[in-house]
Amino acid sequence: MKGQAQMYRDVVKPLLAGFGITAKRLGRKKVTIQYPEELREQYPRTRWRHFLTRYDSGLERCIGCSLCAGACPARCIYVEAAENTDQERYSPGERYAVRYEINMLRCIFCGYCQDACPTGAIVLRKDFELANYERSQFLFTKEMLLEEYPGQNLEPHKGKMQGTIALKN
Amino acid sequence: MATVAATDTVNIVINDVDLQVPKGELVVEAVKRLGHEIPIFCYHPRMKPVGMCRMCLVEVGFKQPDGSVRKMPKPQAGCTLPVSEGMVIYTDTEMVHRDRKGVLEFLLINHPLDCPVCDRGGECPLQNNTIFYGPSTSRYIDIKRHAPKAFPLSEYVTLDLERCIQCGRCVRFTEEISGDAQLAFRFRGAAMQPSTFKLTDFDSKFSGNVIEICPVGALTSSKYRFRARPWDLETSEGLCLECGNGCNVWLDHRAAKLVRVNGRTNEAINEEWTCDKGKFGHDYYNSSKRLTQPLRREGDRFVPVSWGEAYAEIAAHLGAKSAALVGSTVSNEGLFCLQKLFKDGFGSENIDHRWTRTLPAAGERVAKRHESSIASLEHKKTVLVFGADLANSQPIVHLRVRKGWFLNETRVVVAHSQTTDADSFANLLLSCKPGSLDDLAMGLERAVAEAQKTDVQGFASFKDTEKTTSVKESALREVAAMLLEGNASIVCTASIYNENKPVETLAALAKIAAATGAEFNVYAEGGNDEGAMALGVMTGRNTHEILQDCAMGDLNALWLVGADPLTLHPSRRLAEDALEAVPFLVYQGLLECEAMGYASIVLPMEAPGEHDGTYTNIEGRVQRMQQAVKNPGDGKPAWRVFSELLVRIKPGRPSFSAKEIMDEIAATHPAFAEATYDKLEKEGTPLKPVIENFYM
Ligand code: SF4
Ligand code: SF4
Ligand code: SF4
Ligand code: FES
Repeated sequence: MKGQAQMYRDVVKPLLAGFGITAKRLGRKKVTIQYPEELREQYPRTRWRHFLTRYDSGLERCIGCSLCAGACPARCIYVEAAENTDQERYSPGERYAVRYEINMLRCIFCGYCQDACPTGAIVLRKDFELANYERSQFLFTKEMLLEEYPGQNLEPHKGKMQGTIALKN
Repeated sequence: MATVAATDTVNIVINDVDLQVPKGELVVEAVKRLGHEIPIFCYHPRMKPVGMCRMCLVEVGFKQPDGSVRKMPKPQAGCTLPVSEGMVIYTDTEMVHRDRKGVLEFLLINHPLDCPVCDRGGECPLQNNTIFYGPSTSRYIDIKRHAPKAFPLSEYVTLDLERCIQCGRCVRFTEEISGDAQLAFRFRGAAMQPSTFKLTDFDSKFSGNVIEICPVGALTSSKYRFRARPWDLETSEGLCLECGNGCNVWLDHRAAKLVRVNGRTNEAINEEWTCDKGKFGHDYYNSSKRLTQPLRREGDRFVPVSWGEAYAEIAAHLGAKSAALVGSTVSNEGLFCLQKLFKDGFGSENIDHRWTRTLPAAGERVAKRHESSIASLEHKKTVLVFGADLANSQPIVHLRVRKGWFLNETRVVVAHSQTTDADSFANLLLSCKPGSLDDLAMGLERAVAEAQKTDVQGFASFKDTEKTTSVKESALREVAAMLLEGNASIVCTASIYNENKPVETLAALAKIAAATGAEFNVYAEGGNDEGAMALGVMTGRNTHEILQDCAMGDLNALWLVGADPLTLHPSRRLAEDALEAVPFLVYQGLLECEAMGYASIVLPMEAPGEHDGTYTNIEGRVQRMQQAVKNPGDGKPAWRVFSELLVRIKPGRPSFSAKEIMDEIAATHPAFAEATYDKLEKEGTPLKPVIENFYM
């Protein structure tokens, strides 16, 4: 008799209690999502992959001033500037970046570059899917960072950025 | 000016600290003695103060008999105010802080604040002063002054007028230091702009310096424009080898590429200036024409080979009947190893580094090439510049001579058949007919002899001298009198060897120097030409003989060490014949060039800033330059090539480092005894004055 009571207290009751919780949860909404088929919306201030943004006119915001490179604690930004001409204009004003590279392997996603940028050109947004197969693929060039059209950077993240990271089959 | 002769001192008080300073010293300078700082814009220690920017305001008072301090009612400009007895200076009071804020707010009214795209951003006095002393906001809401951005003052200097704070440093530089007076202020008030008078090109041999002294980004370098920001740069101490002055420079490089050259202070040589050749003439470092690997001729084309193959080829072809011609940027170490290679390896002595029309033989050379140091020239009573265009060939010597004239009342006499920049400030101009410098020197010798009442037999009469040179007797006598007053220096350069009868000219000048007690200088011309002279890189046959013998087939191999005879030799004809005829030609150099077309073997050389080495400047100062950037290809320093080859020909211990070779030079050449890497001084070590029999 003592054995049975003990058995009930130590085994059956917790077991039932556990199933009880399971049964209760069955009625609630699921929190697990099927990544990568499904994506969770990131928090508004998430800091992941950078974008080089454009003005509404389509001109690049970046003026190639290297302030981001100066602020970067990981020293992973390389900027080379050149002069705009009336025939070939990339940004308003005199100066634009011909080369802009971020070494994503060294980036610590601190966002200092975004803070330092006087024109709001470099921003960290929500694309966190940065894994890749080759080290060289982590050197993000200006072409990869520059948004294709104004405002692209603000769109919700919709899965691996198109055209930026070439996946090896 | 910065320092006034410290004859008298006065007692002053700076921020409650009692101090004795030389009378007449400016307040800005006096406070530096305490390690305090007064912010400045327009004041420059090497130029006269003008008090244009008002950044340096301080409170000043005077001690009263009762011990109290009576302050002047208004703040004073520290850069124009000399100290006087009993002066009490405050640099850190409430009022001073308010004044500084006010001045900066005013200066920034018209400033575009485009720091992010400005090449000066990050190393800008206006930025710095604003951060330390300025207001954090502006109350100005109207439209700022606008002007065209990036106006090219010249090929090298770009003016952004919007950024100019009208401090006048650039204008004063061209008036006081370079002396070409190219820049001036046009218009007044907010419309004031520094520019050339008629908007012509800013044509100066020293224009690059205004970029460095402009306290804002108004004057920037066209060549460095947008190439880097200061925090992108690494910088190394370097030397300029564009001429023999040996100016100290900063080599600023980014991602292993040289992007900018700035002046580095060395009071003994260039103070803080550079000439435009030095500042903008270093393109070859990044040239697409750089040689990057050894090449061997096969038929009518070059194929890349390894260093080993190149060495084997050279060792097989060079012997006693070979010669080397050397350019002017090979380090002392390189020259020494070359001598050793030719003597011990090939058994040949035929090496020369000179490219002038006349190549004096051992007995004809002057005993001492540099009696006056560059720095001493500014304290001379008289400087006779004889047959030299200093501004072109020795720009920094030109600046010193001019400084002496401008500040210390040096009398400058220019004797030349051409017009030179020094003519503008010469107290006396002996402009003679072309090709008559020798007669002029002898006429002067006669004038000195007559003034000293010594024998003048054998001299041409003054009449004849005037006929041949067009210089009058009175002028010659006047110069003789000046020289005889003492503390004089006669300055020639090696370019005199391109003139008529240089040996006679120099002999006459040497006699004049001996008779008047003047110092006598025949400054070398190229980067390390003085080093080559001091090491005696002119043995066996001379340049002309070498080229002639190559042309005649008497020499069967020629090695060009960083030299292209087609551009350097006075007779292009002879150079062409020689290169065509010589059976085996080694061209070792930085860049592809015309002479390379004749070569059997081409060796890439490292530029001076790509390896360790020492160089001797015109006044015999040995200075060391350490590696700043990496060679873009497979180049080697000249010394390494020579010593590696020597080991192949004559097995022995190779040299591992430039330091080791310098030790060897010091041990074998008494003049270099103090010039080992351990002993070299920051400002460079002067050669020990040793007169080897060799030269006499
Ligand atoms: S996020 Fe931080 S570490 Fe990454 S690039 Fe920007 S500044 Fe550098
Ligand atoms: S991203 Fe911003 S801070 Fe970086 S170079 Fe461009 S403009 Fe300057
Ligand atoms: S250009 Fe520069 S140096 Fe010249 S006046 Fe303007 S601020 Fe001064
Ligand atoms: S530094 Fe004194 S007024 Fe400009």
